[in-house]
Amino acid sequence: MQSTKLSIENVRKDFPILTRRVRDDKPLIYLDNASTTQKPKQVIDTITNYYNNYNANIHRSVYSIAEEATEAYEKTRDKVAKFINAPKREEIIFVRGTTEAINLVAYSWGRKYIKEGDIIVTTEYEHHSNIVPWQLLVKEKGAKLEYIGVDDNGELILEHLDKYLATGKVKLVTFSLMSNVLGTISDVDKIISKCKQTGVKTLIDGAQAVPHMIVDIEKLGCDFFAFSGHKMLGPTGIGVLWVRKEVLETMDPFHGGGDMIREVHKYETTWNDLPYKFEAGTPNIADVIGFGAALDYLSSLGMENVRNHEIELTKYALEKMSKIKGIKIYGTKDLSKRGGVISFNFHDVHPHDIATIIDREGIAIRSGHHCAQVLMERLEVAATNRASFYIYNTKDDVDKLIQSLEKVSVLFKL
Amino acid sequence: MSDPLYTEIIIDEARNAQNEGTIENPDISQHDSNPMCGDSITLQAKVDHNSISDIKWSGDGCTICKACTSVLTQLAKGKELDYAKNLKKEEILSELGLEYLIKQSPVRIKCALLSLKVLKLGLYSYLAKKLGDSNSFDSLKEEAANLY
Repeated sequence: MQSTKLSIENVRKDFPILTRRVRDDKPLIYLDNASTTQKPKQVIDTITNYYNNYNANIHRSVYSIAEEATEAYEKTRDKVAKFINAPKREEIIFVRGTTEAINLVAYSWGRKYIKEGDIIVTTEYEHHSNIVPWQLLVKEKGAKLEYIGVDDNGELILEHLDKYLATGKVKLVTFSLMSNVLGTISDVDKIISKCKQTGVKTLIDGAQAVPHMIVDIEKLGCDFFAFSGHKMLGPTGIGVLWVRKEVLETMDPFHGGGDMIREVHKYETTWNDLPYKFEAGTPNIADVIGFGAALDYLSSLGMENVRNHEIELTKYALEKMSKIKGIKIYGTKDLSKRGGVISFNFHDVHPHDIATIIDREGIAIRSGHHCAQVLMERLEVAATNRASFYIYNTKDDVDKLIQSLEKVSVLFKL
Repeated sequence: MSDPLYTEIIIDEARNAQNEGTIENPDISQHDSNPMCGDSITLQAKVDHNSISDIKWSGDGCTICKACTSVLTQLAKGKELDYAKNLKKEEILSELGLEYLIKQSPVRIKCALLSLKVLKLGLYSYLAKKLGDSNSFDSLKEEAANLY
């Protein structure tokens, strides 16, 4: 395997929180990156600098700091377009996060085009944010929601997709590029080419993928793409919806209000140009600018290096963890098909208990259903433990996690 | 090795949890869950001459949740409804040495008290339906809602 080019030691110095001590002076070992990542000082400083030096509303005034703020905000749009290789900057819409992005599509595209009897296809390993908006929509329209199943290896059963596409009723197929529980990377090429043959629209939830691997929108070939800033070193409350321009041009507005209009009269309004038609009200200016700093940071590391580091760490963790007696690890062992997310159960100890016990060692992992209750039902578990890695995690972190599981064994006399 | 939360008493109580199961034709049947952590408990009970003649629980929860549910069912079984109505959270917690959770762990206190919340809600539904006068039991419903 190609060894990583990241200097993890240098990367760690950029994250003030990693020097923190918790629970009786233990160093913080943060392994909940699929939930949210920590922020480097470059991002924190960028946000502080905006508030300290050029805080102003954007797109409106002509004075100096308003111009500076507008420029910094719009520059981030260019950075996003470059980062995901989006063809046009006006296809990038800033939203609160992946959840809002998907709701925007369900509202502005779905309410216009989904009719009674239509089918929307999602998958069993989706986050609730890629299930619930569609449930709301199909209920309103008398349409139907169907699921691509997950096999015992944690991969999608694409024959299910064939079956639904054959009905001729499918209008949208929506799936995550990487599962937030299993780490499985979806077989995008196959899914998209099947959908394209039948003219079906596709939405990709990239929340877990964009932070961890190279994502190229043009290559993917989807129609909608959503992701969040806070899972990739950026601040919370900022995310991106990308929509292919031909599709975006046919969509109705999401929120009505300031900034999204061209002219407002008593009973008629005309809309602003793309993408502003979909960005009503004063946006999250500071965090968009902070997100730009996060993109700069990741670009300077190189996403291939990020991916390689996580493959190396995941390989190490899977090898070591699978040797522990009583552990059950979910998902594929094929590193080319998975990201750095490891869900597991340990004997019959409830994940909530495990997370509490290892928290005493300063280790932060997630326990619960990970907003993926449909998948929990499929796995026939109420919950799992989940360790997820990022650029600042080390093999030592993995070793500490494994040692802490030994403490669980002792306490529970396993 | 010892742990302040995972004492032997708690682990043993959860491992050998009492009154797990279901009741046919129960007089009280109530379910609730903690949305954040996924603990999920159903309580069922038979009422005989104003007393809880039988009580069983089913569902899934962490060690803390199971241990407290086991203790709760043992305390309530065979007692008058009034006893169950007035059961205080401190009584459940003290059986397992968990009173400190109230102040120290806003997250785990929910695991500990879920079944008590379910019991109070179940009693409320039962009494309100039976006596057709829900207003006089509003305090019970309120107590359940504000238990943690």
